[in-house]
Amino acid sequence: MFYRENGQFKTSYKADQQVFAIPQDRWAIFALVVFAFVGVPMLVDEYMFRAILVPFLILSLAALGVNILVGYCGQITLGAGASMAVGAYAAYNFLIRVDGMPALAAILLGGLMAAAVGIVFGVPSLRVRGLYLAVATLAAQFFCDWAFLRIKWFTNNASSGSVSVADISLFGWTISSPTDKYLFCLGILVVFSVMAKNLVRGNMGRQWMAIRDMDVAATVIGIRPMYSKLTAFAVSSFYLGVAGALWGFVNLGSWEPAAFSIDRSLQLLFMVIIGGMGAISGSFFGAAFIVILPIFLNQMLPLVGSLLGLQVSIALVSHVEFIIFGSLIVFFLIVEPHGIARLWATGREKLRLWPFPH
Amino acid sequence: MAFFLETLLGGLMSGMLYSLVALGFVLIFKASGVFNFAQGAMVLFAALAMARFSEWIPAWLGMENLFVANLLAFVVAVAIMFVVAWLIERLALRHLVNQDGATLLMATLGIAYVLDGIGQTIFGSDIYKIDVGMPKEPVMMLESVFEGGILINKEDFIAALIAALLVISLSIFFQKTATGRALRAVADDHQAAQSIGIPLDRIWVIVWCVAGITALVAGIIWGSKLGVQFSLSTIALRALPVVILGGLTSVPGAIIGGLIIGVGEKLSEVYLGPFVGGGIEIWFAYMLALVFLLFRPQGLFGEKIIDRV
Amino acid sequence: MTDRTHSERIIFHDAIETMEVDFSSMTFADIAQVDAVYDEIERQLTATGQRWFFLVLYTDCVIAPEAWDRFAARGKSANVNHGRGSVRVDAKAETREAIRERAGKESFRSNIYDTRDQALLALGEMRKRQRDLAKGADEVFLRVDNVSLRFGGVKAITDISFEIKRGEISAIIGPNGAGKSSMLNVINGVYHPQEGTITYLGEVRQQMSPRAAACQGIARTFQNIALFKGMSVLDNIMTGRNLKMKANLLQQALWFGPAQREELAHRAKVEEIIDFLEIQHIRKTPVGRLPYGLQKRVDLARALAMEPELLLLDEPMAGMNVEEKQDMCRFILDLNDQFGTTVLLIEHDMGVVMDLSNFVVVLDYGKKIAEGTPDEVRADPNVISAYLGASH
Ligand SMILES: Nc1ncnc2c1ncn2[C@@H]1O[C@H](COP(=O)(O)OP(=O)(O)O)[C@@H](O)[C@H]1O
Ligand SMILES: [Mg+2]
Repeated sequence: MFYRENGQFKTSYKADQQVFAIPQDRWAIFALVVFAFVGVPMLVDEYMFRAILVPFLILSLAALGVNILVGYCGQITLGAGASMAVGAYAAYNFLIRVDGMPALAAILLGGLMAAAVGIVFGVPSLRVRGLYLAVATLAAQFFCDWAFLRIKWFTNNASSGSVSVADISLFGWTISSPTDKYLFCLGILVVFSVMAKNLVRGNMGRQWMAIRDMDVAATVIGIRPMYSKLTAFAVSSFYLGVAGALWGFVNLGSWEPAAFSIDRSLQLLFMVIIGGMGAISGSFFGAAFIVILPIFLNQMLPLVGSLLGLQVSIALVSHVEFIIFGSLIVFFLIVEPHGIARLWATGREKLRLWPFPH
Repeated sequence: MAFFLETLLGGLMSGMLYSLVALGFVLIFKASGVFNFAQGAMVLFAALAMARFSEWIPAWLGMENLFVANLLAFVVAVAIMFVVAWLIERLALRHLVNQDGATLLMATLGIAYVLDGIGQTIFGSDIYKIDVGMPKEPVMMLESVFEGGILINKEDFIAALIAALLVISLSIFFQKTATGRALRAVADDHQAAQSIGIPLDRIWVIVWCVAGITALVAGIIWGSKLGVQFSLSTIALRALPVVILGGLTSVPGAIIGGLIIGVGEKLSEVYLGPFVGGGIEIWFAYMLALVFLLFRPQGLFGEKIIDRV
Repeated sequence: MTDRTHSERIIFHDAIETMEVDFSSMTFADIAQVDAVYDEIERQLTATGQRWFFLVLYTDCVIAPEAWDRFAARGKSANVNHGRGSVRVDAKAETREAIRERAGKESFRSNIYDTRDQALLALGEMRKRQRDLAKGADEVFLRVDNVSLRFGGVKAITDISFEIKRGEISAIIGPNGAGKSSMLNVINGVYHPQEGTITYLGEVRQQMSPRAAACQGIARTFQNIALFKGMSVLDNIMTGRNLKMKANLLQQALWFGPAQREELAHRAKVEEIIDFLEIQHIRKTPVGRLPYGLQKRVDLARALAMEPELLLLDEPMAGMNVEEKQDMCRFILDLNDQFGTTVLLIEHDMGVVMDLSNFVVVLDYGKKIAEGTPDEVRADPNVISAYLGASH
């Protein structure tokens, strides 16, 4: 099949406005989703699910949330982990305190609670910008770290400080095996990705980007910065909250506040920078990169070390990871602020015109 | 009363240290518009260099004199910080001129990671000592005024003194020397400064060097108190509210902000902490800064700017 | 040259206040022929002693290149002296192009339609608008009274008052730093003056807010283009429709249904604007990649997408080449004519200002030093000395 745009004229604005305007793209994505649901579970072993795929799916969801706020609305956040924590703990409390609460409902309610808290912590964004805002979001991060550690009610007075959730079930389907977890998370991610794409290609997304690119001009054409920014905070926190709940319920099973510390916030921010700010696909690229790189280094560095006759300690691996992440951040900010997603798009563009570049 | 004063003084002294770190932020922000998240990593890096070289140098040279060892280590650490500053300018900032603040901030996050990684790879990641001969014993003061006097840690006192000295000398540097004035010119208007022939890149290297020295001093003081370890790099996070309070562009703001936050933290921890379960000082400072931001978005001493269209 | 006399080609339709001139199948070979025709037209017009709308038929009309300048100049002067607006019918491609070009150069409105019926319809609209204007004439459209604005110690604007009439094109001129942009910013609420009031559509305010201004139909373009640089041309213009889009967040997330219908409806409207400004070919281009002149046009498109009552243009032609300037002139005149938009513009090119505007306000050092018609202003000694002083 030829990957060509030439000769495919759009006949209506509706056709022109589709997410993937080229049929080949549409089919490729469709095939990919089908493969993810049907093919992957047949091919992959448990370790792969547990160590890579489930974390990748959940972190992708979280990165989507961060991308909406940072990439689309231009509001920098260092408090993404806090939103995940709110989602996780709120979902936990809904689950254990309300009789017969379905797990999925608890997760979504957790997301809504995170959205509410996100709005509160988004309020400073109305007065302050950029750098100051980053600090304001840090306040949220540290406050949440503290609250979930010290306020015992949130953890149902668990003496160890960590909370745990038994296997959840969905309409009679108990999600216990890694494959189940994978499918569950994949389902949620697909739905949420489609919704995110719809938001960013419509009126709301344009308002966000307008605020990001030139806020004075945005207000002059009637966009309310307060409304746009707070919806971005709300939607972003909702995504993060759901991701946090999934991270706790599905990926970890039992967790402590440290699971959602500032390190997590920075990690999410890095995913978005490396993956691609302002591109939905960037969230997936970034999450994949961040999940895979440490595993890759853990395998590779000792190998390289033994070739050179050096002893590679675990500490060294983690330091190298730091260095690589850090350099990549700077590299992408300098060379390609739109991250891997843009590199991918450029590559595809070339393919689209191939073999006639003009 | 005496207890209150003790707390207050303790707050002021730790506040002075915050001011020192905050000063590093302000210097760099003023001259290059970069909100340097890597300041904490620089503190850790500098302290690690200081700690390890003061260990290594005596071993290499086979001598015992603590003072000489420390002096040599200090010199080496300063040199290293200069190299770091130069590399940062060369490899990162130079390529990011005219980017918006948020991008620069994220870039410094990346730089922080690199510094943390390299520092620990070279110098190791255990807990190290810095012993510059700070007296450890506490002293009683004002016994005539209060019954029992108030207890003060001599080390804190000296640290605060050093910090104050550094702050004063930096202020003088900014106000009186030609380089200082050039720095301020750059801060006011990059393009104008460039057009009258002030070389921007050199100025930036200088600023980063100065920030490196403040980081080193802060690292030494903190390190000799708590030991040099990874958590040192988080003191930048502790100093952030200070900068917010004082305004990103104001040196006096950094100092006063530091004192306010230092005192606020201590008082809140002592008088408020017990009711809410303790450990509140880390977010309390942020909340203080945040509430403040809502009323004065440009900070205590920052200038209000109306966007031009 | 012709089988009919010139006077037979001129018909007055009293009921619709329109003079119809039929140039079909005529050939204007030289300046003399142009003059002959227009002398007759002007004679008849003068005889009626009133102003008319012009309906001009161009079917198969041929105008020689050497006659063009004369033709355009006479046409314009007829309109200025006796006209209330003109529509043209069925010009051939080259004639149409020539009219467009002259329209830009000489600052008149091109208004070309394919059939006589379409032209009559447009004429009807034009008449209706002018009637409405006459009716609303006693309401203040926009007036600023004693406005002063300071930034710290800098006095950007000192005690300025003036009034803009609905449907007119007005201009603010003055040397750099005179406070022109600040004035526009005061009118649409970006800056808040310390003193004075702004009256818009009869409502008196101490200060505008950008949102209120936008909701009440004030749009603007910016001196230093303020496009959303991360978005495509189409998205930039679509953003101008945001006030008119009503689907809620959930509907937008689900897309199908109301959100999609709304999106399509507004897309259609935006396409009209894209056609109007002739930027079809760059629809999908990210605005950052466009040359300066096109960016200015997209800026205008975004403002037009708001369907404004009052359009504020901050140096719409700065930095453009002659051709781009002519295009821009034509767009401004056409939109004033076709949509009835009131325009307040800032411009440095005096020629352009004089041609475009009905009314001019002159600022210098934040103060108003003159106002009036272009001719009055040009003759004003204050203006002359300010401009000489500022080495223009
Ligand atoms: N946002 C602002 N902050 C400070 N001063 C401003 C601002 N906007 C304009 N000014 C000052 O107001 C004066 C008038 O500027 P402006 O309205 O842009 O002039 P013009 O558009 O006529 O060239 C200038 O002295 C300018 O420096
Ligand atoms: Mg101006």
